[in-house]
Amino acid sequence: MNNASFLAVAPEVILLAGALLVIISAVMLEHSRKEWGFIAGLSFVVAMVLSVLQWRAVDTLIAEGNDLLFFSARNLPVLRLPMVVMDHYSAFAGFVLFAVGLLGLGAAWRLVERLGSRGAEFVTLVLLSVAGLHMMTMSANIIVMFLGLETASISFYVLAGFTRERPESDEAAVKYFLLGSLASAIFVYGAALLFASTGSTSFYGAGGMKNFFVTTILGEPGVLLLGIGFVIVGLAFKVSAAPFHQWAPDVYQGAPTGAVGLMAAGVKVAGFVALGRILIGALPSQIDDWAPILAIIAGLSMIIGVVLAAVQTDVKRLLAYSGVSHAGYIMMAFVAGVDGIGPMLFYVTVYAVTLVGAFAIVGVVSRHSSGGSPIEDWSGLSRRSPEMAWSMLILLLAMGGIPFTAGFVAKLSSFTAAASADYLWLTILALLTTVVGLYVYFRIAATMFLNAPDDDAPAIEAPTPARMTIAAVVVTVVVLGVDPWPLLDLVREALPL
Amino acid sequence: MELTLLIILPLLGALVVGFLPKRRPELIFPVSVGVSILPLVASLWIMWNFTVGEAGFQFTEDYTLSESLGIGWRLGVDGISLWMIVLTGILMTLAIAGSKSITDRTKQYMVSMLVLEAGLLGVFLSLDLLLFFAFFEIVLVPMYLLIGIWGGENRKYASIKFVLFTAFGSIFLLAGIIVIAITAGDAAGTITSFDFRQMLTLDLSPTTQLWLFLAFGIAFAVKVPMFPFHTWLPDAHTEAPTAGSVILAGVLLKMGAYGFLRFNLTLFPQASVDLAQILGIIGVIGIIYGAAVAIVQPDAKRLVAYSSVSHMGFVVLGIFALTSQGLSGGVFVMISHGLTTGALFLLIGMIYERRHTRMISEYGGIAKVMPIYAGIFLFMAFASIGLPGLSGFIGEFTVLIGSYMTLPVLAILAGSGVILAAVYLLWMYERMFTGPVLNPKNEGLSDLSFREIAILVPLIVIIIGIGIYPKPVLDRIEPSVEVILDRIQATTDYQPPEYGRADEIVQPQDVRSEIVGEHAGEEAQGEEESG
Repeated sequence: MNNASFLAVAPEVILLAGALLVIISAVMLEHSRKEWGFIAGLSFVVAMVLSVLQWRAVDTLIAEGNDLLFFSARNLPVLRLPMVVMDHYSAFAGFVLFAVGLLGLGAAWRLVERLGSRGAEFVTLVLLSVAGLHMMTMSANIIVMFLGLETASISFYVLAGFTRERPESDEAAVKYFLLGSLASAIFVYGAALLFASTGSTSFYGAGGMKNFFVTTILGEPGVLLLGIGFVIVGLAFKVSAAPFHQWAPDVYQGAPTGAVGLMAAGVKVAGFVALGRILIGALPSQIDDWAPILAIIAGLSMIIGVVLAAVQTDVKRLLAYSGVSHAGYIMMAFVAGVDGIGPMLFYVTVYAVTLVGAFAIVGVVSRHSSGGSPIEDWSGLSRRSPEMAWSMLILLLAMGGIPFTAGFVAKLSSFTAAASADYLWLTILALLTTVVGLYVYFRIAATMFLNAPDDDAPAIEAPTPARMTIAAVVVTVVVLGVDPWPLLDLVREALPL
Repeated sequence: MELTLLIILPLLGALVVGFLPKRRPELIFPVSVGVSILPLVASLWIMWNFTVGEAGFQFTEDYTLSESLGIGWRLGVDGISLWMIVLTGILMTLAIAGSKSITDRTKQYMVSMLVLEAGLLGVFLSLDLLLFFAFFEIVLVPMYLLIGIWGGENRKYASIKFVLFTAFGSIFLLAGIIVIAITAGDAAGTITSFDFRQMLTLDLSPTTQLWLFLAFGIAFAVKVPMFPFHTWLPDAHTEAPTAGSVILAGVLLKMGAYGFLRFNLTLFPQASVDLAQILGIIGVIGIIYGAAVAIVQPDAKRLVAYSSVSHMGFVVLGIFALTSQGLSGGVFVMISHGLTTGALFLLIGMIYERRHTRMISEYGGIAKVMPIYAGIFLFMAFASIGLPGLSGFIGEFTVLIGSYMTLPVLAILAGSGVILAAVYLLWMYERMFTGPVLNPKNEGLSDLSFREIAILVPLIVIIIGIGIYPKPVLDRIEPSVEVILDRIQATTDYQPPEYGRADEIVQPQDVRSEIVGEHAGEEAQGEEESG
């Protein structure tokens, strides 16, 4: 193994090592919750640093004229059928995922403390799931992508049912497991059909899909189209795009609040990045086939997401449906092809961070409710805890796409990408649904600021880790809203090979 | 640098207020008034240092934020925006000083007001369309909170209606901005370009102009508000707290008219000429409809709110008369309406604090118990009606002259608005102030306090001042207005009526080269040589 090939998988190694250490420390030490937090937090920070190093290593390799950024299990690096790839794209996605993992862990910390000795399992699963998510983004082979997807998904099924003393949590886990497995199966079927039509499971390399389409024009592309369609549907399930979103509200509502932010945000990042890897990385020549499919899914997601979000009375369900609409806004960037990758990465980054913060606040506000977060919990929050109310307001404005929050820049770049690809109808639809979205978010704002608090409303106490997560998210959202330009330039470089 | 500072000052003020110690709530009010004076001073300083007779933008700043996306921190002030920022500074200070009665969550209230001020100033100073949109949209949030938290009984409904109406308009604006930015980006060789001054060099086809005019126009029409997009206004104005109504009527509505002036007329001149008549008609409908509905309002605040619809109709008519006088008059009405309507809302707020009702029928004969209040109220009513010698007269008279040249029928119809204004305001005065005191609850009302008089006196002074001697104001407005007209003339075959142009101030070709840069200036001169 040379240095570059080790660096390519180093974040996974660190996260897995961290996961093992947490389990060992749980067995060896008593009252070792602080240690778990320390180990997991450190793993994430080291992984983030490694992502930065990866980015710079890619710069160096490209500058040296060495475009061998693909690696397989044996004789590395390889030209034929690579397994993983280290490029700007995966490095950027890694950084975001590890940051989301760190923030999510902070938001979930009270849950970990309450779980007692089972907390170690929770932390381990968080580390494993993020490792799986990152594996999806760095895969150069659809089988590796599937392995990453399943590693993450199985961890998430368990996390969703972690507070198993509550039936809602059990229900969420079973629902997530059944529908998630179905989605995975569809994804695998799509992968098989792609293999059947191109003769390869690799995206890159001499025998990979990308090269296949350089030299071949399929006379009867039916199998290929079916394969592309199934892969898209499988990933659309995971990122909860309509009409494959039905699991999301129930799972979000039932799963322990501490875990939901990480689950929802992490899957969205990895799912969309993986979609970009397949479509832009491996199948850029087929854009005329897949762009209309994505446009329709995106349009449906926007409409269904905002309309159903508007009638929810539970904030967790509401965020689930709003997530469906955001999946649409993110997906619409893809129709611009490779020009859409930058906007997509920016949007998904901003949305993931915002979502983790929002669920951290949900966790703080609705800690006594069983699982859900009925909107009554939020009544008069601006009197009970002005900090939480204003933080939530800023995050809601970001989701609504109000200027001077990162959400506005994200929406603007995504909409511009679709408009310049001549998908004007999609842009107009997105703009229209944005207004409905504003109603959704201002409704929560109204409950927080305009309603009087219930007399028996519990006092709001935010534990320090959650507070830190929320503060970090709010600052990020505002800073990226005022000065998004460095990040926008960065994501434009972060293209899949 | 000056303009950036002007936008940042209220934000700094908001920070200061936000971090005042919790144990000293009594500090919040005086500190807020204090920090709100800073942007006022800054805007007056800019007015003082503004070069009269120079047509282009002054104090310009151009700091590129994103090269490839063509986004920049581009600010500048001309004769039109100058008065808007001064108006914002004055009204904001007075509105905050008039908010003594806010006792619930005072700190959040003051922070919202100051953030609102920063947004409003940004709207009037932006020369970058993305920046403009950002400020245009961010204004929604503090205004929503002001109406929603500190508003009247029906505040929830009014605040969400306000947000949805204006947000609905804004999406068309955003769509339009995206389209024109992509077009401008193609010309400039970047992905997009939001530079307003660069966009002026674009040569858009009449069809494109028409669509973009409509996209921009809907957003601005909702803000103005123009009939039939006005229905949010009475609710929002009536439910908003006093300071909120003052800012809504005084400054927020001007964002729409300003948008028409700054962007629609200059970026889409052909479409402006084509649609001028229709928009003039909509303006006149607004004048008459607003006035007619105002007459029958039982609620004093709602009455003034509908009078805003009427007055803003004059602004729209003036703008789309497409004459020098019409445009200047329109801007003057914007200033005058901000002052008089702001004052009327302050006055109604003051009596509401005493009696907790705004129903006209609850009052009657209170001139006897509150003589100073009655006097000032009558003065403001006359100023709003347009009594010669007061600011309202100059604006509306100039609009009528300007529109008579190109849209004579509409000008005559609009003239009835002045008469109707006398009907609704003087009838309200009669019912509230004259005659015997019938309602015993009104007998013990105390007259205005020193603080309240001190808030109103500056407005009285300005209204008389610019009413008698409007030249300093018009001198600064006219060159900027001429630039807009010259731009329309240079790009379309529209010819404004020859008489009465304020041409002696600047020569057109200087103006053109000033605003569109050297390249376009050469073109314009070339045209003149060939013609």
